[in-house]
Amino acid sequence: MEKNPALLALTSSALLLPAYQGVRADAPPEFVELGMRYSKYEEDDTKGSKTFGGNSQRFDIDAAQFHLLAPVADNWAVAVDVQWEDMSGASPWFVGQSIDGDPKVIMSGASIEDTRTEVSVTTRYYYDRGNAGLNYVHSDEDDYESNAIALDGSFNSADGMTTYSAAISTSRDDIDPTQGAVPTNTLHDNKDISSAWVGVSQIISKNAIVRFGLAYTYRDGFLTDPYKLRDRRPDERKEWAVSGGYRQYFMWPDGALHADYRYFDDDWGVASHTVNLAWHQNLGRSTQVIPFLRYYSQGEADFFANIADTEKRYYADDYRLSSFGAITAGLRVRYEIGNWAISAVGERYETDESWGVFSGDESPALLNYWRYSFGLDYVFR
Amino acid sequence: MSLSHSHYDHRFKAMGGPCRLRLDCADATIAKRAIAAAEAEVVRLERKYSRYLPDSLTSAINRAAGSAHAVPIDAETAGLLGFAQTLWEQSGGLFDLTAGILRRAWDFRSGKLPAQSTIDGLLPLIGWDRVQWDQNVILLPEPGMEIDFGGCVKEYASDSAAAVLASHGIERGLVDLAGDMAAVGVGCAAEPWSVGIRNPRDSATAIAQFGLAGGGLASSGDYERCMLVDGRRYGHILNSTTGWPVQGLAAVSISAPQCLVAGGSATIAMLKPEAEALTWLRELGLPWFAVDSAMGCHGELHSR
Amino acid sequence: MKHLTCLFILLCLSACETVQPWERGTLARREMQWEPDRMEISLQAQINASKEASSGGQGAAGGGCGCN
Repeated sequence: MEKNPALLALTSSALLLPAYQGVRADAPPEFVELGMRYSKYEEDDTKGSKTFGGNSQRFDIDAAQFHLLAPVADNWAVAVDVQWEDMSGASPWFVGQSIDGDPKVIMSGASIEDTRTEVSVTTRYYYDRGNAGLNYVHSDEDDYESNAIALDGSFNSADGMTTYSAAISTSRDDIDPTQGAVPTNTLHDNKDISSAWVGVSQIISKNAIVRFGLAYTYRDGFLTDPYKLRDRRPDERKEWAVSGGYRQYFMWPDGALHADYRYFDDDWGVASHTVNLAWHQNLGRSTQVIPFLRYYSQGEADFFANIADTEKRYYADDYRLSSFGAITAGLRVRYEIGNWAISAVGERYETDESWGVFSGDESPALLNYWRYSFGLDYVFR
Repeated sequence: MSLSHSHYDHRFKAMGGPCRLRLDCADATIAKRAIAAAEAEVVRLERKYSRYLPDSLTSAINRAAGSAHAVPIDAETAGLLGFAQTLWEQSGGLFDLTAGILRRAWDFRSGKLPAQSTIDGLLPLIGWDRVQWDQNVILLPEPGMEIDFGGCVKEYASDSAAAVLASHGIERGLVDLAGDMAAVGVGCAAEPWSVGIRNPRDSATAIAQFGLAGGGLASSGDYERCMLVDGRRYGHILNSTTGWPVQGLAAVSISAPQCLVAGGSATIAMLKPEAEALTWLRELGLPWFAVDSAMGCHGELHSR
Repeated sequence: MKHLTCLFILLCLSACETVQPWERGTLARREMQWEPDRMEISLQAQINASKEASSGGQGAAGGGCGCN
């Protein structure tokens, strides 16, 4: 539909004025925002039938998150994110074969207690057609320290309908396994992770947007799990991930559909599909109820075996490298009052080898957990 | 889904006329804060651009006319000058930001026509193309030259006040600055505001109704300030090249996504001769309504 | 499969009538953001990455965690 040239001229000239910059796709946040979350993560006990020695308590994590976002000058914003995690519990040490021939997991006897702190600072610059950010993350726990930096940028097309984004990051992690509960595979080592990502997002209509992304990650260094008895992994790992996402708003029920998919592949033989679905339902102006579902299916690593063969070059009996399917179902609720927002989430995660689309041996150490979070947000209007 | 909302209606005086803010909001604190911020925004623009206030930016620019000192300006002022430039181009030079000085010749309350010599004395001081300006400074080259933002700042203020309401989370609201309106309407629960176009013959009644859901509505009319001399009507909309009133439409109302664009278009239509104006409006592509000098109605504002 | 995906992507990108900036009010709504709740997404991503073999997807991989 061709537009009248006079109207085009008047409109494009008007849109340069500050009052219309609110509809500009790229602008720093208008107000300072503060957010806090408290979460509890509780793994199910490993069933007696799967272990040597009866039911075993697994991992519990208490986590607190803190978030601050502030505009700075006309074109900048700074974000600070801090996370504290208190971890305790037992984790799988190795998998052995019972008299019946079934693989069973032996848990690390004594309880591990650890605290992790992570601080992330991002400065972001906004210009008329996009933005660019620089991020630094430092993470610290008893046996692990990580430093990472990342650079990202995004750029809008002239009509604002398409956004092109890219990011690169690199991190150096130092591993100093805690001695005591189990003998460890190393006393001190490190690993480097480098990653690059490109993405494009497109406005399809007044109510719908779609995006695609491609990521590549390269890990190099000590990649073996230091706490597992039988674990020796390659010192390199190359990963690819292709992802797509869709958001659509539906006027009549006043809600939005979120759908995301990711396909992952690496040179360890692991491949996976992840599907995320969520429905954001508005109830009046102040409340949102969001049921969500996640389906995950991964294939086992080439060198995975429940009864690890220590003669081989690489081996691991870690359930996280086994073939399984996982389903998460959860509900999030958000209530806004004045400048405050209160939120609560509950989710249940369960795994089963038969739920996956890849075939492989079922690990006796497969995991189920509950997670709850409570949050408070404040906007300084 | 708006059962829990209260309706707020706030009136105040600014920009030389009655101003009204109406909005729906579930929270009284937020509503009061949004209203105060929107009113403050209108007052800010009045204080910045009014030629009646001696410490406004406009007055400073006008005082520096003919001097060597260019007056520094910000992005907002540069934006308004850019819009005035577009109006000048699209109206074929009929709209001129420097034509405000013609008010010295025309006194509509007196009922008397000005002397041609008075007008001839003012014409050399009118010339937008002679104004020196860029994104950072403006300089009026001759003493006595003046710029007057009156033709577009009220419409811009409507849009800006509506943006302020939106930034406070207001999802349904209407800014009405003496007839220049901008609506905030987000989502399907925001019903349109029913606004009336004033009847040129009887300002108490409406000649047309329009449902405004989002965007702006601006009107330009010759009926409010005019005089009859020897049976001929002389309106206040003046041709900036001759200094005399245009013989055009009596009233125009236009709706556009921005009240500023609506107002600018209405101004251009009022400056053109009647037949040319009606053709221009038909081709514009915006909902419009016009009353000609014989009180005939044209166009139809359809609710979007 | 790869070719179909590319074609689908290209079709999506090209077949869109321009939505003007002032028509993007709905897209600016909170529930239409890619990640409306950043802290929630970050926690979920971290849990998933440490309990499964896959990670990443949207954005470059950030810092590490002790989840070898």
